[in-house]
Amino acid sequence: MQSVVQNLLPPSRTAAQIPAYVDEGSIWHHMSDALHQSLYRVLTLLIAVLPGILAFFVALLVFTVTGVVVSWVLRRCLGWLKFDQRLARKSGTDWTPSSSPTEIVARFSFWACVLLGLIIGVSAFDTSYATGTPLPISLLPYLTHAVGAALLLVAGILIARFLARSVLISAVNAQLQYARILSLGVKWLVLVLTAAMVLDHLQVGGDIVELAFGILFGGIVLTLALAVGLGSRDLVSRSLESHVEHSGERLHLPENDSPATKSIRHF
Amino acid sequence: MATTNPISGQTSTAENAAANLLVMATAMPAEQLDGVLANLSEAFSADSLIVATQNEQPPSAPTTLRVITAPRSNATWMLRPGDFVHAYEIAREHDVRAVVMLGPNANSLSPLALRALAEAVLNASTDLAMPHYTLPPNTGFINSAILYPLTRALFAARVRFPLALDLALSMRMAERLAAAARRIGASSDDDTILWPVNEAVAAGFTVDEIDAGPRAVPQPAGIDVNAILALITGSLFGDIEAKAAAWQRPRRPPLMRRTSPDMLPAGSTADVARMVEAFRLANANLQEIWSLVLPPHSLVMLKRFSVVEPSAFRLPENLWARIVFDFLIAYRLRTINRGHLMGALIPLYLGWLASHINVTAAGTAAERHIEAVASAFELDKPYLVARWRWPDRFNA
Repeated sequence: MQSVVQNLLPPSRTAAQIPAYVDEGSIWHHMSDALHQSLYRVLTLLIAVLPGILAFFVALLVFTVTGVVVSWVLRRCLGWLKFDQRLARKSGTDWTPSSSPTEIVARFSFWACVLLGLIIGVSAFDTSYATGTPLPISLLPYLTHAVGAALLLVAGILIARFLARSVLISAVNAQLQYARILSLGVKWLVLVLTAAMVLDHLQVGGDIVELAFGILFGGIVLTLALAVGLGSRDLVSRSLESHVEHSGERLHLPENDSPATKSIRHF
Repeated sequence: MATTNPISGQTSTAENAAANLLVMATAMPAEQLDGVLANLSEAFSADSLIVATQNEQPPSAPTTLRVITAPRSNATWMLRPGDFVHAYEIAREHDVRAVVMLGPNANSLSPLALRALAEAVLNASTDLAMPHYTLPPNTGFINSAILYPLTRALFAARVRFPLALDLALSMRMAERLAAAARRIGASSDDDTILWPVNEAVAAGFTVDEIDAGPRAVPQPAGIDVNAILALITGSLFGDIEAKAAAWQRPRRPPLMRRTSPDMLPAGSTADVARMVEAFRLANANLQEIWSLVLPPHSLVMLKRFSVVEPSAFRLPENLWARIVFDFLIAYRLRTINRGHLMGALIPLYLGWLASHINVTAAGTAAERHIEAVASAFELDKPYLVARWRWPDRFNA
């Protein structure tokens, strides 16, 4: 072992200058030191952060319990005051949502307390983290980005679904044969846009994401155009032809036709 | 919201005579108003009524009539909530006993019909008199498919035209409608609709239907069937939702008192083919949305009917009633966006219409088929009530 190390070292350095590196016990000692230091750092971090985590959960628990109590008290008080009946009498209409006004007020107060607990807990955690640890952690700031990205993703999916349905229903009612293709195209356009925004928010990929987004977005638009213009040429032709035929049939009706063939009036 | 005296000017031949009746005519072309005034002077004695018109003071008005000017609303094809507010305020101002409201094209109503409407609230103990028009066979399909059957089934009111353009009101009914109009925003310019029959039933007032004969029905300009169906049906669904406590009480439906004349088939084969095509297209594309609203049994039935030839296309009355009820439940539960919901109903309505045209073309009288549809709604009401109260998914 010693001879191997000596062979690897440059010739200018003597064996007397590097005794620590050649000693087997010394390697283990250094490794052990490194491990201890690492463990110490992690434990220090945990000890620094633990009060914050505990404070977060305690705040959340306390305010949740407070919320339960407040909502129970509100339910009893509003029930005693006949709040629902008074509100119905004042507005003059029956209450339409599935929950009663009292129930809504009680739920609102409960969730307001929970939200307050969350805010206070996060604030306590933030303070403890900022002051308690001397070590940088890259994961926690990244988590906030991840939460933002998750919100973006959820909003994007909801918007994509809403727009896809709107386009589908409108296209079907306009009797477009390629309604589903249009709807899918719109849905994927929004989803691709959302994915690009999420990755950008997470700072993943950098320029690659922008480039890929541009290619995908353009590709979907081109695909839609080709699908509707070329791929669905027959469908479009048939759709247009049938429209013209229907118009033609109506146009060629004799003037003194029977009432049965007059145009339909829905109202 | 108008709270001040809305009367802006008046001419009179009998200023101090006590009138029993206020006739409120919405804005209409001058020649139509002339026709209305001529019919009114023929139907009533001059000192028994006051005519409030939203037009400018007509120069050719019969001098025997008391004509005043009322605030103008933008009613072009139906009565607006603001009209009810203004009518009540003018009626209270002149201390009349009843109000007759006339919509656009009211000149096509006969003097006899006008008199019958007024007498129903003046002489009988009726709070709301609704006209029963004799319309051409190709008119008013949304009313026949949805408005009439739903109103009859839920509110136990056998009123063939729940969204009539003309009606007669007792003073307490006028007050109730004015209050309802104020509540929903009488001054707003959007297409808010007031449902007088539902209001009357919810208030426990008496409703009667009067034969009014033929009438020209104005059509909404610039909006197609998609918009009009969503507007009217959405409004009725909203009103039903707001009056849930009223219509869930068990009521015995009134007996049928009149038979409508048999009418000719309502549409052509070209119309039917186009409607069935629209229905098929929707059946192929809207399954994802329909499956959120309709139970599997209805979906299977719709799929089965979608492959039938247009000339043989039929949508059973009980299936149509179930579809409308399921859409009403979905409207209440907000299963999907309400605009989407109304959009998804349109192809189904076109399917019903194609079926109705086929049924009438096969020899069944149109009114008989519409009555059968309304009966199917009545029979299926327990399903609606059950799902309204316990709206778990497709439990029946």
